[in-house]
Amino acid sequence: MSSTSQKHKDFVAEPMGEKSVMTLAGIGEVLGKRLEEKGFDKAYVVLGQFLVLKKDEELFRDWLKDTCGANVKQQGDCYGCLKEWCDAFL
Amino acid sequence: MPLFVEDPAHLSKSRLKSDLVAHSVALPPGESKKQLYVELHLKHIDRKTCAGFSSDEDDQETQDAAEENREVPDPSGLTDEDLKAALLRHGVKAGPIVASTRALYERKLKKLLQSDGHGQLNGAEKGVLYSDSEEEEETGEEDDAESDSEGEKQPVEQSDQAQQESSQEPDKDAFKDLFPDIKATPTGIYASRRRPIKGAAGRPVQYAYPDTPASPMTLERREVERRLVPIHVQLLVFLILACLLYFIYVCVEDGTLNPFVALLDSLHQGSGSEDGLLLQAKTQDTPALYGQE
Repeated sequence: MSSTSQKHKDFVAEPMGEKSVMTLAGIGEVLGKRLEEKGFDKAYVVLGQFLVLKKDEELFRDWLKDTCGANVKQQGDCYGCLKEWCDAFL
Repeated sequence: MPLFVEDPAHLSKSRLKSDLVAHSVALPPGESKKQLYVELHLKHIDRKTCAGFSSDEDDQETQDAAEENREVPDPSGLTDEDLKAALLRHGVKAGPIVASTRALYERKLKKLLQSDGHGQLNGAEKGVLYSDSEEEEETGEEDDAESDSEGEKQPVEQSDQAQQESSQEPDKDAFKDLFPDIKATPTGIYASRRRPIKGAAGRPVQYAYPDTPASPMTLERREVERRLVPIHVQLLVFLILACLLYFIYVCVEDGTLNPFVALLDSLHQGSGSEDGLLLQAKTQDTPALYGQE
C-alpha cells in the first residue's frame, strides 16, 4: 500500500458514523449495490463482518468475493481501509 | 501395495465399503448398489492415490490418513463446535462461527484438508505420524507463542474429538475385520494414540524434529547467537573492569606521589596551624575561656 486512494484517506480520516457502504475503499457503485441487496447497507455492517472474522485478511477477502464478487484489488482496498480504520478508531 | 492398483470395480462390495470407511468417506445410508460405492471410491480414494502412495507401509498410511480425515468427514455436516474444533486442530483459531461466517470456515477447513492431502502426496506420511503436517507444526508454535489460554483450549477440543471418534466405532470394526493384519486397535486406543500426535505430548517431537537436520552452518549460527547475548554482558563487565582498573591505576599513580599523605599532611599542618592561630587568638581575646579549658 504505497499509495492509497482518496477514498481510502477519506474513510480512514474520521469515524465512519452512518456512512454508506459505498464509501468504503474498493467498494464502488456496483459492489455497493450488491452488498446493499444482501443487507450490508452501511459501512459499519461490513465492519461488523470484518470484525467477526477477527480481522482475518484471507477470510474477509473470501467473504467479500462471495458476497459481492469483488476482485482482488477491490478486496485488498476494502480490507486495508477497514483495517486502518480499526487501527485508528477501535 | 495392490490395494490401489486394483480397479475399484473389481473389488468386493465389502472391500469397497471398508476402503471408503478407511478414507472417512461418508457411506451412503443403508445398503446401496455396488456401483455407488465404486463411484465413491473413484471419487474420494483413487483421486488421492493416483498422485501417490507408493511406500510399503500403505496399510499403515491409509489407516493414518483415515484417522486424519475421519475427524472431518464433511465440514457442512459438523456442528459449529465441531467445526471450530476441527479448524483448531489444523492450527486455525476460528472466530465466532455464525450464519455469516460458517460458510467461510467450512471452505477454509476443506482447503486445509486438501493441503493436508498434498502433504501426504509429497511423501510426508511419517510427518503425518509425528507432526500431523507442516502447517500444524508452524501454527503449533504460533499457538505457543501466543497466549496460554489458546493452549489450554486445545485439550478440551480434543476430548470432543475423542467423543466424536467413539461414535464411529462400528465403522472401525468393519475395517478391522477386513484388515486383521493391521492390528486395528479399539476406539479408545485410537483416540489415545492420536492425541499424542497432535496434542501436547506430540509437541516435543515436533520441536525435536527441526533441530536434528540442522546443517553445520545453522548450528554455527546458533552457537554464535547463543554467545551473542553474553557478549553484551561481557563487554559491560569488561568496561566496568577497565574503568575500575584505570581508577585504581590513577589512584596508585597518585599514591606514588603520596597524595594522601601529602593531603593529610597539608590538612594536619593546615588545621594545626589554624588551631594554633585560633588558640593564640583565643588566648589573647578570651583568656578566661582558655583558662576554663
